[in-house]
Amino acid sequence: MGALYLIFLPIFLALPLYLLGRNFGVVKYIALTLFVYMLTQSVALYGQLPEAGYLDLGSYLSVPAFDFVLSLQVDRLSVIMLLLTSVMLILVGLSSWRMKMEDAYFALLVFFSGAIFGVFMSTNFLWFFIFWELTLIPMYFLVGIWGAEGRIYAAVKFFLYTHVASMLILLAFFLIYKQSGTFDMTMVKESMLMTPALIWWLMFVGFAVKMPLFPFHTWLPDAHVQAPAPVSALLAGVLLKMGAYAMIRMVILMMPEQAAAYGWVILSVGLVSLFFAGFMALHESHLKKMVAYSSISHMGLVAIAISTLSFDGLSAALFEMIGHAFIISPLFLIAGFIHHRTGSWQMGDMGGLMQRAPYLSALFVLSGLAALGLPGTMGFIGEITILISTIQAHGVWMIIILLGSMLAAGYLIYSFRRVIYGEMSPLIRESDFSMPKMEFLSLLLFGLLIIVFGLYPQPLFEMINQAFQSYFSAGGLS
Amino acid sequence: MSTFVILFATAVLSFAIRSRSVLKLLVLAALLAAGYAAIDAVPLGLSHFGSDQAITLFEIVLLVVMAAVVLSEEENINITQTLFLGAASVALLESQSFLTFVLSFEALSIISFVLVSNIKNREAAIGAVKMFVSGALATALIVLGSAFYLFEGHDLNAPLQEVGVYGTVGLWIMLVGIFYKLTIVPMHTWAADSYAQIRPSHAAILSGMVKSVAVVGVFMTFMPFLLQQNSLNLPVLVMLALVTMTLGNFMALFQKQVGKILSYSSIAHAGYMLLAFVAVKSAYAPVAIFYIAIAYIFMQTALFMLLDKAGKGSSSVTLDDLKGLGTKDKTMALLFTVQLFSLAGIPLLAGFLSKAVLVYAVVDVGLPLVALATLLNSALSVAYYAWIVKHIYFDEPAKHSALGSLRVSGFAAQAILLSGTLYFGLFATTVFDLFV
Repeated sequence: MGALYLIFLPIFLALPLYLLGRNFGVVKYIALTLFVYMLTQSVALYGQLPEAGYLDLGSYLSVPAFDFVLSLQVDRLSVIMLLLTSVMLILVGLSSWRMKMEDAYFALLVFFSGAIFGVFMSTNFLWFFIFWELTLIPMYFLVGIWGAEGRIYAAVKFFLYTHVASMLILLAFFLIYKQSGTFDMTMVKESMLMTPALIWWLMFVGFAVKMPLFPFHTWLPDAHVQAPAPVSALLAGVLLKMGAYAMIRMVILMMPEQAAAYGWVILSVGLVSLFFAGFMALHESHLKKMVAYSSISHMGLVAIAISTLSFDGLSAALFEMIGHAFIISPLFLIAGFIHHRTGSWQMGDMGGLMQRAPYLSALFVLSGLAALGLPGTMGFIGEITILISTIQAHGVWMIIILLGSMLAAGYLIYSFRRVIYGEMSPLIRESDFSMPKMEFLSLLLFGLLIIVFGLYPQPLFEMINQAFQSYFSAGGLS
Repeated sequence: MSTFVILFATAVLSFAIRSRSVLKLLVLAALLAAGYAAIDAVPLGLSHFGSDQAITLFEIVLLVVMAAVVLSEEENINITQTLFLGAASVALLESQSFLTFVLSFEALSIISFVLVSNIKNREAAIGAVKMFVSGALATALIVLGSAFYLFEGHDLNAPLQEVGVYGTVGLWIMLVGIFYKLTIVPMHTWAADSYAQIRPSHAAILSGMVKSVAVVGVFMTFMPFLLQQNSLNLPVLVMLALVTMTLGNFMALFQKQVGKILSYSSIAHAGYMLLAFVAVKSAYAPVAIFYIAIAYIFMQTALFMLLDKAGKGSSSVTLDDLKGLGTKDKTMALLFTVQLFSLAGIPLLAGFLSKAVLVYAVVDVGLPLVALATLLNSALSVAYYAWIVKHIYFDEPAKHSALGSLRVSGFAAQAILLSGTLYFGLFATTVFDLFV
């Protein structure tokens, strides 16, 4: 029952928080307490996990005639995602501490937290889909209400784009049910399916939109640019990871034969995403758009790692996903803060920020260097493990992915020169960069995570390796 | 006493009551009694009528929705007509022969005409006339089709029997007439104008209540024919369903008047409902038709009733009028949003599960491309539902807009309808257990 509360308590709590919040002014405290509680519960779940397989957390709302059962089960992969999500929610909550209309804003964050926990805890395809769709609702409002000038276009585009993709996923689930007689993702085997290729493609495209991979990425730059900075961090840190998680669990682990047959597709779109987004970032003068393209480029790297279908590759992909969440989020937060204070997104208008806001600049540089893979940071560990695993799987020519890192070095160092160093621009000189304590605390925590897991990745890697061990125990995906 | 008798008797009695409060109390008590009668499966009292668990569930849903309508209604005559409609609906749902189906269906239509003839302005008059003319044409087709069917020598007092050429032609002519009333393209043209021009509270009853009842009644009656002539009917029904939902959704995209958007959305939903006819061979088809009818009756009735309150009885509320409603009236904005999202098929609301079962039924009969087209249509519809929500929450309040608000009774009515949307969004077993 406790697991059910983790999902439905936030979902149903959101409404009273929204309606009554303004009268009491405690919504953000309730939200933060809830997120901390969710983190402690996730840690507790990790402690209860069996060596291999799933921990059963109960089944609810059963409709046996349609196998529509809210089966809550978690394995190491899903608990790692729960841990990441909880940490991100806390940090995003802290960085949103002074958001306008905070009651409604935090109520939506609370709703989102329940829905996303449902995504990672549900092993029934239909319920997975329900929670998957539910995450769209708060995001739609968060972008549409709290976003920048073009927020409405971005919110509607995001909603429609991802909803259309969801329809493909739903059709895939229906075909699975028709052919296997079950919606239980722990029971479905590829051999039960009569049209595995069709189902694989429907799911691949559906999840690729969410990740997002080229050419399904176009909703993301708009959403990122228009969303308030903490929401961009949530998008990059949690929502995109939801796509990658589903890709690993359903497109790769559940359908290994199709994944092997079409691995080249994942590799190709991963490579194109890496380079296309990298070049777009290099070309950008808009600070937040540059970070957004950097985000897409890194998700391309995740896709490349996934395409190896190997134990090392999937472990590297998951590490990179976590690293990406911690690295790209502070970049979004700082970009948003600079815009909030200067009123400009253009890097050409900036310069000399280090002299006006040295701590903030240092955190921007740290996150940027981590994004380009500087040793001692999470970025380095993620990229080097991806490089090794892809060379092992696809051959030495995969060294070309280093060019992606070089591109990242190009656009990030160029952004340092334009924003952080150089001569102080009048805009920077005239702006006030004193940062609220809570927002700065969240940035510091992000920085700390980047360094701690960069210098000492072993515990995280052990968790990740255990997550995939059972799938590869017989020598390969089966 | 049966549900039908209680509703009919109360409707007749209501003519004698002047006080609206007394009338409302009496009607609510009658609805409660009718609910008990439905649960106890008290027979209607005439031959060729009967009920089962599924019909009982739908009747209870209908009575709950009627309670909401009565609570919200501000004119005695409309309450009376709602009761007559309820009685005719029960008769249609319980009809078990060809004759009782035709008679109940026509009774439902005639009472609908009377309902919209309560005209307050020119727009409403135009809407009512359009509805009346198309309704008369539909009736003519139904009678003509019946004649062809009878020409083959079938028994009027029995359910539909196996048909030959004349019977097939006759039943298709009847279906065309019925599709007029269900707003299937190309027989839909009257509905977009009528629903948007008549008073929204009337549109709530016609588009929500009457349509849901009619579609269930038609499906149950025509099921033997649809099964018998499946290979012949399938291409036509698939085409009609896809064209109806696509045209409805595309037309809704371009509307500025909220009533018109809901009208076209109603047409699109008729297309979705027709998919149950397409998937009649699937064991999930009856669940699907009941589920979508139940979901639809809650969502559509709630939205038109909200529109009625927002427009103070006028059907002319535009998207611009709704701007900033989220800051001006949190409750009304939230009610609009939840019901719109339910229509869009967003999960945890009745609209999602009902569409999901419907689409699965289509997959179940081996038509994945039709299922895909339906899902993409549903995604397309999100564009205009989300667009209304965008006006409500993302835009600055309109300066000259003076929308009405919900009073206690209106709020109670909406709370009832919202409970239905939420309940059937979570507890699918209530419907599934009756069929599969």
